[in-house]
Amino acid sequence: MTTLETHYKKIKDLHHEEAVAPGTGLCAGCGGLEGLRLGLKELGNDVLICNAAGCFTLLSVYPFTPLKGSWLYTTMGGPVPAAQGVRDALDIQLSRKTLTEDDNLSIVVVAGDGSSNDIGLGATSAALHRKLDFIYFCYDNEAYGNTGFQLSASSPYGSSTQTTPSVKFHPVGAELNKKNLFDIWRAQEPTYIATVSPREPIDLSNKFAKAKNLVGPRMFICMSPCPTGWGFNPKDTQLIAKLAVDTGIFPIKEYFEGKVIHTKQPRRRLPVEKFLETQKRFSHLFEPERKSDVIEQIQKTVDKYWEPYE
Amino acid sequence: MFRVRLHGRGGQGIKTASQILGSAAFFSGFQAQDFPLYGAERRGAPIVAFTRINRQNILERGPILVPDILLIGDESLLEDIQAAPLCGADNFTAIFINSSRLPEKLQENYSLSTLPHVLDITSLCVKFLDNGSSTSAAIAAVGARLLGQIEFPALKEAVELELNAQGINSDLRKKNIDLAEEVFQLLTPMEVKERPEKNITSSKLISSEQKPVVLAAPIILEPGNMALRKTGNWRLDRPEIDYEHCNNCLICYARCPDGVIGIKTDGSPEIDYDHCKGCLICAQECPGHFIKTVKESGSWE
Amino acid sequence: MGIDSSKRLMLTGNKAAAWGARLAQVEYVPAFPITPQTEIVETLAKWFADGTLKGKFTNMDSEHSMFMAAGAGAATGVRVFTASSSQGILHGMESIYTIAGWRTPMVVVNVSRALATPITLEPDHNDIMSVRDCGFIQLHAETCQEIFDFILIGYKVAEDPFVCLPVLVNMDGFYLSFTREPVLIPNEQKIKKFLPEFKTSQPVFKASQPMARASAVFGGSTYTYFKIQQDLANRQAEEVFLKTSKEFEKHFGRFYDVVEKFNMEGAEFVFVMSNSFSTKGKDAVLKLRRQGIKAGLLKLRLFRPFPATAIADALCGHDNVAIIDQNLAPGMGGITYPEIVASLYDRKNRPQNILSVIGGLGGKDITEGDFLSIIEKLKSSETKQPFYLFGKKDEENFERLQHLAISNKEAFQS
Repeated sequence: MTTLETHYKKIKDLHHEEAVAPGTGLCAGCGGLEGLRLGLKELGNDVLICNAAGCFTLLSVYPFTPLKGSWLYTTMGGPVPAAQGVRDALDIQLSRKTLTEDDNLSIVVVAGDGSSNDIGLGATSAALHRKLDFIYFCYDNEAYGNTGFQLSASSPYGSSTQTTPSVKFHPVGAELNKKNLFDIWRAQEPTYIATVSPREPIDLSNKFAKAKNLVGPRMFICMSPCPTGWGFNPKDTQLIAKLAVDTGIFPIKEYFEGKVIHTKQPRRRLPVEKFLETQKRFSHLFEPERKSDVIEQIQKTVDKYWEPYE
Repeated sequence: MFRVRLHGRGGQGIKTASQILGSAAFFSGFQAQDFPLYGAERRGAPIVAFTRINRQNILERGPILVPDILLIGDESLLEDIQAAPLCGADNFTAIFINSSRLPEKLQENYSLSTLPHVLDITSLCVKFLDNGSSTSAAIAAVGARLLGQIEFPALKEAVELELNAQGINSDLRKKNIDLAEEVFQLLTPMEVKERPEKNITSSKLISSEQKPVVLAAPIILEPGNMALRKTGNWRLDRPEIDYEHCNNCLICYARCPDGVIGIKTDGSPEIDYDHCKGCLICAQECPGHFIKTVKESGSWE
Repeated sequence: MGIDSSKRLMLTGNKAAAWGARLAQVEYVPAFPITPQTEIVETLAKWFADGTLKGKFTNMDSEHSMFMAAGAGAATGVRVFTASSSQGILHGMESIYTIAGWRTPMVVVNVSRALATPITLEPDHNDIMSVRDCGFIQLHAETCQEIFDFILIGYKVAEDPFVCLPVLVNMDGFYLSFTREPVLIPNEQKIKKFLPEFKTSQPVFKASQPMARASAVFGGSTYTYFKIQQDLANRQAEEVFLKTSKEFEKHFGRFYDVVEKFNMEGAEFVFVMSNSFSTKGKDAVLKLRRQGIKAGLLKLRLFRPFPATAIADALCGHDNVAIIDQNLAPGMGGITYPEIVASLYDRKNRPQNILSVIGGLGGKDITEGDFLSIIEKLKSSETKQPFYLFGKKDEENFERLQHLAISNKEAFQS
């Protein structure tokens, strides 16, 4: 079930040119990097990335940049206003004809879930309000990863982080539900919102291809399995990304022209524990004894989400 | 003062080794200081940690440039010009290498200033822990034993303390203690040579000149130059494509986060080993299992 | 309202700032309101809306966002202006430090207002002093004319290829921001000759120029290199300011030195002041002179880079100096005091008697009487520092207020 104008059907159709050169200091097996890599392949090289402090700060470390396009490191809460400043300055020059259309740039904000849900959300909301013409890419690894994996507003219920460990009096770990960033953004009616998974490159690339040709705020949340923070072998990044989709924990969808459509709806959802049991951050739900109530609660939340669509 | 510099790869427990060694020295009545050097690199990337041990107060801080003891936890680092584990070593430096090769061969091949102490830590870790890359207790045991001033009970207490702090369960802690004891017994203390103190000579400082703004601000005008940095040295295992069976489906190409699998003119995938970090997603995802995993080792045999 | 020949207008400090930005042909103004600065951005908003100014005025969501957008706009090659004050400076602090390191030119006006707590709207200089070390150049204005002129001079200094740094022009809230006085606005064509349209002297963001800016560094050496370069560029701005000032004089007949000496000849007692209160200081100096007291005043104008030589040259040979700080670093005292004292250290004929004075906090007036009290204090042998300009009457007034806040004060006396 999809209303995407499908440009790509096969992996062989993807752009062969890489927009992100190798050699970066990001962890081996980083799910978020795979998402960004595929997305930028689609957007091409005439981009400026305004980066928020986070894991991806390590993309460009002086004197190196992996990008064929441009890069501006800002602050943890500053990438969106920086995007505003660059967009405004380009528009001023375009309207004065001191800049040609060939020299125009697409502005892409790259921010982690901590920046997106917490410190940078106010500024992002303001830019959505101003209908800023930009693309936002949130690599969501569900915690403050670059500082060693502490709770963010995106950390899911039942996960253990460095600041919400599972202990005797708080056996669940994180006791709050993950913030619903998709719907928060949606309330401001941006041009486009999509969730993407690195395990679904065709879906991801089609969404970026579609967004590329739209104007206004275009928002992406990329499920970003994190071997270091989630506690799994890097080779399993894609497997875990797949399980997040197959269990229904991470719905693959888009919002466009007022409607939300699931572009990759699991036919028969797997039980959530198939996803949970793969990662150390959920290991306290299974040992020393199984915490069935917590697992059931997670399942119930997922079931409730899908109820209207199944 | 004993200045110990430990080299390994992210994920091998080098930082913990420096802490076990620090605590073991502390429990033995020494002043001690230990710390890791954090850089941009992650799991698999070369990392370095330090332990200083002294009878008196330690009046040094920061990285150890001239080590008294070098503990090299991963032999492949010796060929790595970025990691440069031998940097600063001189005739007074005792070198330990985790290797299955003969000390004389290692000395000759790497032009070492002294004949290295050698033990196959990786095999011992596999034997005791069923995990060749969990080397913290073993490397710390090497350091403690070579120093000859730390008794096993102090080391044992330090292993117990530091691994417990890491959230390691008691069963695995016990195995690590057994491993440390084995290492302790296999090695003998080294001959300690007193490093003569050199007179201070002044630094060659300059009077900075103002540069044009492009050269004065953090500006990079070479797009994509990150490729100059080789991350191939992060690999513990290498993926190898079995071209006889590969059907060029390019799943591996699509799934590689670092984009280091290119497409050859004949349409087949090709791994860029200069940059492949060895996450092995490609091997895991290959539908026909046509990418095998091969252990990385030094390039000479 | 087109300006085709020079004219004198009655303008508030805020309006003078807006005129400065307008005639500097600013192209981009990201803005956020804060009292007492708001009139500046309101005025500019109207001029952008009615087409008087070409470019873009963007209502931002905070000063943190505003300064970031300003820096990013400057890094993309347009002439940027913005304004802030007080808590706004503090809220924008992270962005302010960040964009200073980008080395992108712009002019920012700060309308000084004291910092919380307690919250107030009235002026002192803790806000501008809080960004003393951020890397921006700072010019402090005494009059509405200076505000206007410093904005024009500021752009020329900021955009100089050897500087490439943001310039902060400071004025006092209320005392200048809301105070009208005559300001000479030169002919637009004449201004264009002095300050032509913006042309960047460094690469800016565009598709044909891929560039990474402000990337992370590892290792203290790389960091130190860039920081030393920031320092050298900032120091260079003193010479550039003087050169620009001379050029400004050629065009408009007014010259601004890095400091201003007022009745310093033969002065036995010197007040060191900055911003609008120096006017009151000058008035006191004239009256004191008529009373037979040889007073003088040194006004700080270029505060960053710090013109240590010019300050020391001006103060040496005078016996008694009172450094009046309209700011307070609790636990230390006045903020400019140690900087000025340090600039005198290697001088043989340095003043023997230097007093740190704290006054004018939160808009509190500095009266004629205060100036004479300072002189008496300088003459006395008492050495307690700093000297607070807070009197018997102030205390009585406060106690009347406090009685309304806490009726049984006795219960809390011990």
